[in-house]
Amino acid sequence: MLDQPISVGSTPRYRSVLGVRRESLIQWAVFVLVLAGVLAPIVPTIFQSVLTRPLYAAHKAVTADNYVRLFTHHDFGQVVLNSLEFAVLTTLIAVVVAVVLAVLVVRTAIPGGRAIGAMLLWPLYISPLVLAFGWIIMYGPAGFFSVGVQKVLGGVPWNLYTIPGMAVTEAVAMVPIAYLYCSGALRLADPSLEDAARTCGAGPLRILGTVVLPLLRPPIIYSALLIFSTSLETLSVPLLYGRPVGINLFASFIYINGLQQSRPDYGLLAAASVVTLGFMALLVVLQSMLLRNAQRFVAVRGKAARPRLLDLGRLRWVGLAFAWLYLLFGPLLPILGLILRSITVVLTPLVSPFRVLTSSNYATIFSYGSFVHSIINSVVIAVVGAILTALIAALAVVVARRSGFRFQRLLEVTALSPQVVPGLILGIGFFWAFAYIPGAGVISGTLIALIIAFGVRSLPSAFGAIAPLVMQVGEELDNAARSVGADWWRTFSRILLRLITPAFLAAFVLLFVQMIKEFTPAVFLATANTQVIGTTMLQLWLNGDTGSVAALAVIQVAITTVFVLLAGYVLKVRTHA
Amino acid sequence: MPDVVVENLHKRFGQQAALDGVSFSVTDGEFFTLLGPSGCGKSTTLMSIAGLERPDDGTIRVGDVTFVDSSGRFTPPEERDLGVVFQSYALWPHMTVGQNLELPLKLRKVSKTQRDDLIDDALGQVGLAELRGRYPHQLSGGQQQRVALARALVYSPRVLLLDEPLSNLDAKLRERARAWLKDLQQRIGITTIYVTHDQIEALSLSDRLAVMQEGRMLQVGTPEEIYEQPASVEVADFVGRCNTLAGEVVDADSDTVVVDLDVGERVQVDTTAPVGPGARVTLGVRSERLRVSQSPPSGAYGGVLPARVVVRSYTGARYEYEIEVGTTRVFVESDELLEGDRVFVVVPRNGTFVFAKEAPANVDEEVAEWHPA
Repeated sequence: MLDQPISVGSTPRYRSVLGVRRESLIQWAVFVLVLAGVLAPIVPTIFQSVLTRPLYAAHKAVTADNYVRLFTHHDFGQVVLNSLEFAVLTTLIAVVVAVVLAVLVVRTAIPGGRAIGAMLLWPLYISPLVLAFGWIIMYGPAGFFSVGVQKVLGGVPWNLYTIPGMAVTEAVAMVPIAYLYCSGALRLADPSLEDAARTCGAGPLRILGTVVLPLLRPPIIYSALLIFSTSLETLSVPLLYGRPVGINLFASFIYINGLQQSRPDYGLLAAASVVTLGFMALLVVLQSMLLRNAQRFVAVRGKAARPRLLDLGRLRWVGLAFAWLYLLFGPLLPILGLILRSITVVLTPLVSPFRVLTSSNYATIFSYGSFVHSIINSVVIAVVGAILTALIAALAVVVARRSGFRFQRLLEVTALSPQVVPGLILGIGFFWAFAYIPGAGVISGTLIALIIAFGVRSLPSAFGAIAPLVMQVGEELDNAARSVGADWWRTFSRILLRLITPAFLAAFVLLFVQMIKEFTPAVFLATANTQVIGTTMLQLWLNGDTGSVAALAVIQVAITTVFVLLAGYVLKVRTHA
Repeated sequence: MPDVVVENLHKRFGQQAALDGVSFSVTDGEFFTLLGPSGCGKSTTLMSIAGLERPDDGTIRVGDVTFVDSSGRFTPPEERDLGVVFQSYALWPHMTVGQNLELPLKLRKVSKTQRDDLIDDALGQVGLAELRGRYPHQLSGGQQQRVALARALVYSPRVLLLDEPLSNLDAKLRERARAWLKDLQQRIGITTIYVTHDQIEALSLSDRLAVMQEGRMLQVGTPEEIYEQPASVEVADFVGRCNTLAGEVVDADSDTVVVDLDVGERVQVDTTAPVGPGARVTLGVRSERLRVSQSPPSGAYGGVLPARVVVRSYTGARYEYEIEVGTTRVFVESDELLEGDRVFVVVPRNGTFVFAKEAPANVDEEVAEWHPA
């Protein structure tokens, strides 16, 4: 057949609609979709911040008054200072703990290093809200552990309801992030560098100080900035700890001024949101300046051979004790307390938990339709949202990295930009967008609204999870498909999509976990019928129903655990391997 | 099989001109090679023909179909019906060998039975019929390379484009693959454009080849023309090992020139190069055509240069000498073992190239870089 000089079959021809090829249509559709999703919540917020009356009201006028009122608000200066203090403390504690743990687990021979390394990542699967509940139940003014200490010492030498208290709790939630980056970098590090130092006569401690730690500078800077910006926007810990004692941070200030007023001051709310957004954007600019080009997608997976471990001698027992004490008091005890609290009437060291066992906390949850609904809602949002977001992110990555699309760079920046938008503000923004955009009112108050908001919030991490794997697929594989007659879309669907399936599934699992934990955008967006686990827990907590909160928290952790284990078996996805 | 015409191709990457007026045409059934160092634009040229690069300006035509012209016409790669073999082979790792070959046929809506026949035919052509069910990672490098070729041929494309397809094979295998590739191309008779930086490949495979440098064509011709009549110092330098000696013409007629070399000797060589007395020229002599001897030679020659052996190396088949003539270094290959440092370099009267231009100052280093001893 090959000897015949005629072509086989018919050379592929691809239709174009009005002179526009199929690939252009798809690329533009992805671009417009991402752009719309990201701008929808931000533009109305900016408008609202300079308007005299609510967006939907008549007779609005442009004004700077909102900003004037914000900056002269008796609390706002304090809010800024509190937020900064909280963010700085959280970052410091989390990074120091994470670096020490990463070096201990990855580079030194401490007993049980692997198990410790795996457990260090557990808090990633737990919502900061749940962790905060656990900490209050354990270490709060009336906490199990606090009361126990009081019995022995006659007083409690700490107060959880302070900014340092908040920071310690938040740090426990953030340690896994810094640990992931640092341990990844350590695993990738070339062991011969250390061998070289050793041949020059350096002991293990000297090697740690002069060779290992300097290698960690990029992951430290990157994770520090990530933690700093996350703690600037976080709501859970500041709201739970700060509300009883009147300490306000950015998010809790917006929450209290937006939700807990009978007539919310929308102008003030929007102005505060814009100021917070500006702050976050500034951080991102700083981040990109510090980490020009290199570090956006830090490789967390290293396939290099396991380097020789450093022997710290007796010091390793100190290291081991540090790791276990952190694990025990940081995430484990509070979660254990939460589980105990969910099956008891009251949790105090004064009464044995086994004498006050009850199933009534769970019974309460399952007997009220609205509570059951919030669980179902969360699962639906997480499943549907994760699939859709992973799909859109995969398309966005491919258009941004593997097409001749004119605005590919802009698309990437846009897809990553929601990382500067605090969840609460995203919720408010979408709330206004649905109210304001003609026809979008239909979505308002439905689960679709929440899926969109949660999806936009998770888009950057989905993009970040998929992009490195797309980049690992050689561009010649695309080119080969184009040369044999596949257009851009067929190349994507026949070749690239199949090759990034593992990345896609991993992103799906990651997004599911994030979305089941997430609740901040729902604070403003959710109606009575569209509550999620997080908002229900918050409501129950504010009503003082600690037992039900604990039960619901345990249910949330259980759903996540079951899902991650199932994903491991069925989809063969190993999160954070 | 159609012919390929490339006219006045231009392409810039930022400030850098990757292609600067590339023009050539390939006739029906010809094996044509683009040869040059990395970054010379040969791959960009090939990928422009494939449609995977978009030239800024110029025309690309295959048969009577124009793919690219100055009016902004651009046929996307999938509609060009060309076969491309990539340097990395680019076999799709999630598909078997058979599936790799099947995709282009499916895209061309070929019926299932005909697909099977064509795939078996193509795999038979490359001698891998029994590997149809294997995955690419289960194949050796040489097998992968042949599968890539089969995939590029299975749909009988109009032109075959090969981008350094042998560069990932080890030396022994590469020689075998070269002979095999040449044989296959002649059997099928497909118009082929081949890109390589390896002069041996270029000379042994091609019907004609083009030597490229910095986005320009230096010379187009048959392997013999390129080797025996290089158009410039750069070509002589890149294809084969060529020594250069600068000098000034003192006398010239229609078929000989007499040159006073800067190293202080006078030589007379046969040439048809249009140079007159007073012109600065560069003489080029291939290292296998320079002779060395320990005593002043007798017989016909163009000139004799007293010289000093600097490096002497034994390569098995012959000896290679690095020799200093004045301040200029030359490389000489010889069957003879020379004792002592003082030697005479004999410039042949016939087969010495005369270039009207001064050689670039660093030409010796370039020779050393491209032809390590």
